[in-house]
Amino acid sequence: MPQAFFQFHCPTKIISCPGIAREFTAELEALGLTKVLIVTDKMLTELKVIDPVLEGLQNAGVQVKGIYKDVPPNSELKAVKRCADEAARLGVDGFVAIGGGSVLDTAKGAAILFTHGGDLVRDYSGAETLPGPLKPIVAIPTTAGTGSEVTRAAVILDEDTHTKLSFVDRHLAPALAVLDPELTVGLPPKLTAATAMDALTHAIESFTSVQANPFSESMCAKAIPLIRQNILKAVLHGEDIDARGELLTAATMAGIAFDHAMVGVVHGMAHATGGLVGVHHGTANSIFLPWGMEYNLPVCADKYAEIANLLGVKTAGLSGEAAARKGIEAILRLREELYQACGLAFRLREVGVAENQLDAIAEGAVNDGTSFYNPRDVVKEDVLEAVKKAY
Amino acid sequence: MPTFESSERLKEILGGFFEYLTADEMMRKKLLDSKMILKFSYAEPPLAITIDLTGDSPVFTYDDAAKKAEVEMSMKADTAHRFWFGKVNLVVALARREMVAKGPIPKILKLLPIIKPAYNMYPKYLQEKGFASYLIP
Repeated sequence: MPQAFFQFHCPTKIISCPGIAREFTAELEALGLTKVLIVTDKMLTELKVIDPVLEGLQNAGVQVKGIYKDVPPNSELKAVKRCADEAARLGVDGFVAIGGGSVLDTAKGAAILFTHGGDLVRDYSGAETLPGPLKPIVAIPTTAGTGSEVTRAAVILDEDTHTKLSFVDRHLAPALAVLDPELTVGLPPKLTAATAMDALTHAIESFTSVQANPFSESMCAKAIPLIRQNILKAVLHGEDIDARGELLTAATMAGIAFDHAMVGVVHGMAHATGGLVGVHHGTANSIFLPWGMEYNLPVCADKYAEIANLLGVKTAGLSGEAAARKGIEAILRLREELYQACGLAFRLREVGVAENQLDAIAEGAVNDGTSFYNPRDVVKEDVLEAVKKAY
Repeated sequence: MPTFESSERLKEILGGFFEYLTADEMMRKKLLDSKMILKFSYAEPPLAITIDLTGDSPVFTYDDAAKKAEVEMSMKADTAHRFWFGKVNLVVALARREMVAKGPIPKILKLLPIIKPAYNMYPKYLQEKGFASYLIP
């Protein structure tokens, strides 16, 4: 049942096509960008993943004033500040972020400081704190997972206090998202699997969130089958541009969905695990997804039954709960297939979690902000059972 | 026309409500467990109420520029009034910019289940303290 009030607002223009990173002149002209700072990381620079974009910018007559490539694996305050300083020194009029979630979030944080000045934590940490629009951000994802190319949020680590800071504001949405599957073909199989499972978790959790609305649900309803139909193809045949393109589309749709509906207990458990042992976020989501679904089954069997259908499971003649269980079984099977295909871990014990840390993970899930959006109350004793199953 | 005629009236009613709320033993314990300093910055009329929950008992200060809050919630006083009747969805209010939240969002969200019983306490408080004219249907 949708809530009484909802809104849907996706201010990001999305363009998508294999090879489009080489030619998006019209969109750049519309944004009025003439001098940009590229934000990326060292690996993508060395692997020349950013080269097609540089070519595209050159084709459009846009000056690349500099390349900021010191983005760490998790976006951090100091990197954001250095990136903003670099933008100011070079006098750019916008950012082109090429990379995964950390790169995109670094560009978002840098755009805040570069546009409005001030102190990132003191002045802007929180919700709807920005005084006005930002200098344009062009987001070009090189993974199909985080959805940050369309979200109004950024997560940045305060490396001094080891806390993750959230920034949520309508002005954080990139002006333009360029989805070019050719930029994702070099992604290794295991990372392809983990990021796509991250996107699948976004889609499933936002479909069942207490904040879901008909528009966000429609994004999930398209993203879920796209991911299921293409994840193994992309893992097994990395050069499959069609599969890569479908995953990229699905990840962006799931990003739009969770930007509105948010996520739930699977993310809560994954966040807690990431904080304890530093496991890759997508891998953690993949490990917890079926157990988080099982946790929520008593309150959203009908929606899980729909998800089962979206995953391609035949549910005709089954009750809502039986169909829902088939959906959870389909996720369990998918993880086994991914394990066979690329070794993607499906148990906590495989990613360095010790048995004596399970209690802390359950506690962390209860205290995570996502618990507010979960369809079932997040209660420690019950979550611990789910965590034990994931172990 | 704003619900509260003056900052003094707002302080009397909402400030009084926070003290009433934390006089409840269960509520006080749960709020103190958060170990936060919360600041509510109101407009129309202007008033800032800071609630320090880091010690053994809550400490309230008004228009306190010196104390640094971990979480600051800004809104019109009318929005706050409706909130305590349970008529404002925090997440929706944030999305519509009826409220601005500075600080760690997860901690803010975590407070919501704790303060849920306060929605019933606010009308009761208004009745008991002679502010019945501020009740809304």
